[in-house]
Amino acid sequence: MRINQRIILPSVAVLLGLAMIFPIYLLVISSLRTETNVFDFNLLPTGFAFANFADAWIGSGLPRTIVNSLIVSGTVTVVAMIFHAMSGYALARFRFPGKTVMFAWMLSTLMVPFAVIMIPLYLITKNLGLANSYAGLIIPSIFNAYGIFLFRQFYMDFPKELEEAGYMEGLSLAGTFFRLALPLSVPIVVPLTIGFFLTNWNAYMWPLIITQDENLWVVQQKLAHLVGGGYFTPWNVVLAAAVIVAIPTFVLFFVAQKYLVEGIKMSGIK
Amino acid sequence: MTPKRISARTRNEWVTAYAFLLPNTLGLLTFVFIPIVYAFYVSLHDWNALSPKVFAGFANYKELLHDSLWWDSVLKTLLFSVVYVPALYVLALGSALLLNVLRGRVVGPVRTMFLMPFAITSIISAIIGMYMLDPRNGVINHLLGFAGIGPQQFLGSTSQAMLSIIGVILWINIGYNMIIFLSAIKEIPRDYYEAAEIDGATGWKAFRHITFPLLRETSTFILIVTMIGSFQAFDQIVVMTKGGPASATEVSVLYIFKQGFELLNMGYASALAFVLFLIIFSVSIFQLKLLSKRN
Amino acid sequence: MGYLLITQLLKGVTDTMKKRWKGLGVAVLTLTMLLQAACGNSGGGGQSAGSNAPEGAEQTENAGSGKKVKLKFWDFHSEKEEEFFKGLVDEYNKIQDNVVIEYSTFNQTDYTTTKLPTGFASGEGPDIYMISPGDFMKFAKSGLMADLTPYFPDGAKEDFLPASLDAVTVDGKILALPYELELLGLYYNEQMLKDAGVEVPKTWDELYAAAKKLTTDKVAGLILPPDKGPYFNFIWYPFLWQQGGNVLSEDGATSTFNTPETAKALDFWGRFFKEGISPTKLQQGPWEIDHLGKKTAAMQIVGTWAINRAEEVFGDVPINVAPLPIPEGGKAATDAGGWKFAVNGKSEHVDEAAKFVMWAFAEDPERALKWCTEIKFAYSPRASVVEKGKEIYSKGMRKVFTEQIYDSAIPEPRYPSEVLDVVGDAMQYVMFDKFDGAGAAAEVDAKINEAIKAANK
Repeated sequence: MRINQRIILPSVAVLLGLAMIFPIYLLVISSLRTETNVFDFNLLPTGFAFANFADAWIGSGLPRTIVNSLIVSGTVTVVAMIFHAMSGYALARFRFPGKTVMFAWMLSTLMVPFAVIMIPLYLITKNLGLANSYAGLIIPSIFNAYGIFLFRQFYMDFPKELEEAGYMEGLSLAGTFFRLALPLSVPIVVPLTIGFFLTNWNAYMWPLIITQDENLWVVQQKLAHLVGGGYFTPWNVVLAAAVIVAIPTFVLFFVAQKYLVEGIKMSGIK
Repeated sequence: MTPKRISARTRNEWVTAYAFLLPNTLGLLTFVFIPIVYAFYVSLHDWNALSPKVFAGFANYKELLHDSLWWDSVLKTLLFSVVYVPALYVLALGSALLLNVLRGRVVGPVRTMFLMPFAITSIISAIIGMYMLDPRNGVINHLLGFAGIGPQQFLGSTSQAMLSIIGVILWINIGYNMIIFLSAIKEIPRDYYEAAEIDGATGWKAFRHITFPLLRETSTFILIVTMIGSFQAFDQIVVMTKGGPASATEVSVLYIFKQGFELLNMGYASALAFVLFLIIFSVSIFQLKLLSKRN
Repeated sequence: MGYLLITQLLKGVTDTMKKRWKGLGVAVLTLTMLLQAACGNSGGGGQSAGSNAPEGAEQTENAGSGKKVKLKFWDFHSEKEEEFFKGLVDEYNKIQDNVVIEYSTFNQTDYTTTKLPTGFASGEGPDIYMISPGDFMKFAKSGLMADLTPYFPDGAKEDFLPASLDAVTVDGKILALPYELELLGLYYNEQMLKDAGVEVPKTWDELYAAAKKLTTDKVAGLILPPDKGPYFNFIWYPFLWQQGGNVLSEDGATSTFNTPETAKALDFWGRFFKEGISPTKLQQGPWEIDHLGKKTAAMQIVGTWAINRAEEVFGDVPINVAPLPIPEGGKAATDAGGWKFAVNGKSEHVDEAAKFVMWAFAEDPERALKWCTEIKFAYSPRASVVEKGKEIYSKGMRKVFTEQIYDSAIPEPRYPSEVLDVVGDAMQYVMFDKFDGAGAAAEVDAKINEAIKAANK
């Protein structure tokens, strides 16, 4: 039992963990190889061709798309977090007519494949005058039932005494949410923030359809353009571009991970 | 408390609830619901996106009944789900449990390592997948070589392509779901376990009687969301195989995309998309029923 | 447990959480800074960045005394080729005062499968665009290609190769402007062939034997495209044509697919994949000469466009080219592909758009020559251009194309995409052993007829 706890379990965990990050490690070391040895089999770094990054950065217009993606993903994430938390809270804690129907309806929107609504969505967004603009990239991406569902599940587990506490403090129902419930939502907000940011950082089809202007392109468009666009796409440059595009999400990940971990610790202690 | 006060409170509750739901309701209505109604309208037409629509009644729906390629794609989608959903569930929960019992200095680094692939986006994961799974020069085949296994075709093989894609998608999704499980596990009060320990229930028993039942809500959430997501997998498939080889990875969404955007049969594609929607809907309802019955 | 206690607890947690929020604020701040840093960077780096978009829009409003016509030009080219078209557009915008052309380019798959359909479906399509043979008929029938016949400058039509104009003519109307002919050849690594004691293959049997002999665990014997799509079919057609076979009847109304010729061409194709001579998965597009350049392949069927890169990037690799091998008793045939320039027939400015298209590729042969020789290597459909570039057309590997391949060229057929799709299925059936050639030909024959019907709906 002891040995199990102290040696075997941690070893297994570390090995599995290493397996999980191995592809990322490989991506990084391979992105530093030259065009000719990018496919060489070697688990150690075999060169430091930083020129790949210069090529990917300067030659491709990547910086502009990174800024665009940051603007779009950042805005969508912040706004969505507030809206979704509100809806999730209402569905979890309030009693009101039409609640079940509302929840079922919202949930059902989760089951709509994007391919189904691609063209109509484009037509509607265009008619709202949002085509080819940041608003067109941002607004339609805010609304989805995923966050609502997760927030609802989260708030359902809150103790009944929450409302009582709010009442005792003289808070309105909305106040109870914003002052008491929302600050307690860090354990769910942190992973969702990362999730939303990533999803939008990841967005590809929608930006592709809604933008004409190259100045509005987002990173994934650029990346796909590099992979499948030209006749000549050296793998080392593609990999370098992939590393660059992954950097912001990794920064977010490492910054947020601390909060993630602490949020978990805190709820674990009680 | 007088009845009057209660009703004022109730009314207040209604108003607040509707106010809270308003932004999302409007948004979902405009950007999901109206488009889908419109898509249904399109599915009743012959439309190549370029010329005016011609009303066709339910002809598109009749046609899809006999479209064997469509039903093949549905089958592939179901196969994908049947492998992917349980695999993700078991791996994410397993990882969460492993991390939960782990003690000492390794906890932080291990958690970080498990979570890290989550920061990889789908197109990048596809690029990495293609790079590692290359039949001729890929790392995986080199590693298999050490184990005495000959080179595999992976994405170039009709039997392995789907599994390869599932592997890549699993890789980036385990961490996130693991964290959801982990935070749910940490929510479980310690005294439950202490009480159970007194009754002699530890390890597997504690898991079966305390952890697992208390994770029901979380499990339901993860299973349903994963299942719905699995029906819509697209990005990695497009980048890695484009549905090939020999249509081995042509899942329904890809087939719809092909009908709509490559062959420009928008009306037909909309009908297919609608049927897919109905399939996803019924499977979710079935799943919900099943999960709540177990309670 | 009274709720007072819980209230206390909640309050305690809330207070701690408030501190956390401050921490989160730091995170948000970091992100914002990062964002600003990136903004500053791109503002200084690429000149196309910054607030260029609204500015550009304003310019058109103001500069041309409010009368300039704005034209959208969509394209799929990238890198050097993108630069060429950008340059053309810039030049044209400068030399005249009537129109301003806005150029956008997309990745090729997105361009054909997403941008064009959504653009045209919503009435926001481009005025000027590139069209592939696979999409040609669909767009023609939807009125999305304006008749360009009246816009040809005097004598220009006669300058074009008749077959190249036939390929874009419907009901006597020229609906697009061909500007390049890309021919296929068998590229090979001379050194590898020599080392293996293999002659340059001239027949199918020789090609098969050579490819088999040259295949090692590091080197593919022959690179063929493994993935479905227009390019996949494009490479295969010559094998069918060399025996006199064809996919459709002359008038395009019925399938002629279920023949021994088709079966033979399919079997030949499938064999390379089934025996592991040609990889079923490639790290780089099958159209890229890099397979030979990086010595991961000994032979590759690829087009004229590969020559410039072979010379410029892989000059130290002994790459050469030969005509496509032919079967016993067959005749030489190769594909002449290439995109075409089209003008949206539903555009409000067909006139202006057509003038630009003609200016670009039907007037001064210099521009067409630059495209076909400097930017890439292709044949121009115009006699005057080929004449003007005579010297270049007989340089190195180009000479092989000019002297041995050019005469056997057949323009890529403009089959509807439904037909392309099922023909692609037949090719995949033999590659992955679902049917043999004859079985696949029979299986797909009826589907082709159905596809024609569907396409003619």
